[in-house]
Amino acid sequence: MSQEFDPRERQTLGEREVSDLPPSLLAEVVAARRPVSLSSQVEARVMAAVRRRAASPRYRAWHWFTAPSVPPWALLAAAAAVVLALVLLRPASVGSPGAASPLAAAAGPESVYVRFILVAPNARQVALAGTFNSWDPAAAPLVRAGAEGTWTVTVALPVGQHQYSFIVDGRRWVPDPAAPAVDDGFGRRNSVVSVSAAQGRVL
Amino acid sequence: MIQGDRVERTVEPSDGTVVRAVLTGDIEQYAILVRRYKDRYARYASRMLGSVDAAEDAVQDALIRAYDRLAQCREPENFAGWFFLILRNRCFAERRRDRRSDGLDQARELTAPEVSHAALERAEQVRSLEQALLQLTPEQREVFLLKHVEELSYDEIAARVSTGVPALKMRMHRAYDRLRELLGETR
Repeated sequence: MSQEFDPRERQTLGEREVSDLPPSLLAEVVAARRPVSLSSQVEARVMAAVRRRAASPRYRAWHWFTAPSVPPWALLAAAAAVVLALVLLRPASVGSPGAASPLAAAAGPESVYVRFILVAPNARQVALAGTFNSWDPAAAPLVRAGAEGTWTVTVALPVGQHQYSFIVDGRRWVPDPAAPAVDDGFGRRNSVVSVSAAQGRVL
Repeated sequence: MIQGDRVERTVEPSDGTVVRAVLTGDIEQYAILVRRYKDRYARYASRMLGSVDAAEDAVQDALIRAYDRLAQCREPENFAGWFFLILRNRCFAERRRDRRSDGLDQARELTAPEVSHAALERAEQVRSLEQALLQLTPEQREVFLLKHVEELSYDEIAARVSTGVPALKMRMHRAYDRLRELLGETR
């Protein structure tokens, strides 16, 4: 047999009972085992559909909504923990981000500005990705503040729970060491920040 | 001077790695999974549906559906098993749709004056195993294919389709009875 159904499932051969079949059917069963290859166009068509979906704002919103969510116990843990991020209602009160600390998005009426900090002296670049920006690694780059290797970014976050992670040098996903984290269901840890409308409060 | 050949090995990323990359926005990585699984279950789909063309549509739809639901894949390293279930549901749905339309066709035939000829033609058409398999229920057809064409054991099938071994054996038993009934007079 030349085509594998699944190589891992082929270890317990020997239970075949094709001998139970009438001889006239045996040849047809053997013929049915010949490999089947589909057109190479399948890949092109599937990927075209994938790209269309990824470009659709409605799909992106749905994808965000159905992304692995925080389990209830983790939400409670997050609510009880202290996050390093500073939650501020007024951007003017953000700890001197200045021109070097870009605001990834303007805060709406239900949003507050949150400053994220990561100490990574050897990093060449750091980005912030999370549920609030569809995990887009390009949406919120951090900037280096001073020579100590402190990276910061301030983003406007809607009130509520958010999961996030830092991306160091474009490939290493690093949870916030100062924030609670939850398993994302895929073997990685996501940090959690809980944003409340109360001025200056960090949950 | 003899220089050693430089051996470069490219390590294929695991399914879990690819799934995570896609979920974090690198959608082009999904092509790896498409290439990896496009043909793996093509034979299963083509035998379930009765043609390679139908299998191609089913596999393509299942791959797109898997992308749509990727966030619900709880065990990314077992993408293969998860994808198989999506494809299986697609094949079952198509078979049930076909059976319904067959039923409608049959009802039309019964109202036609040449009903006896139609019935005779129908009986004569059921000559090959492949055609006979199409007359089985999707569940009977599937257990026959997984056992005899894909050569899986009952335990492997049970794990794959989340059904107990006794129930699978009963399906097989009924599949044999039905095949004997369909093919008995023409063999």
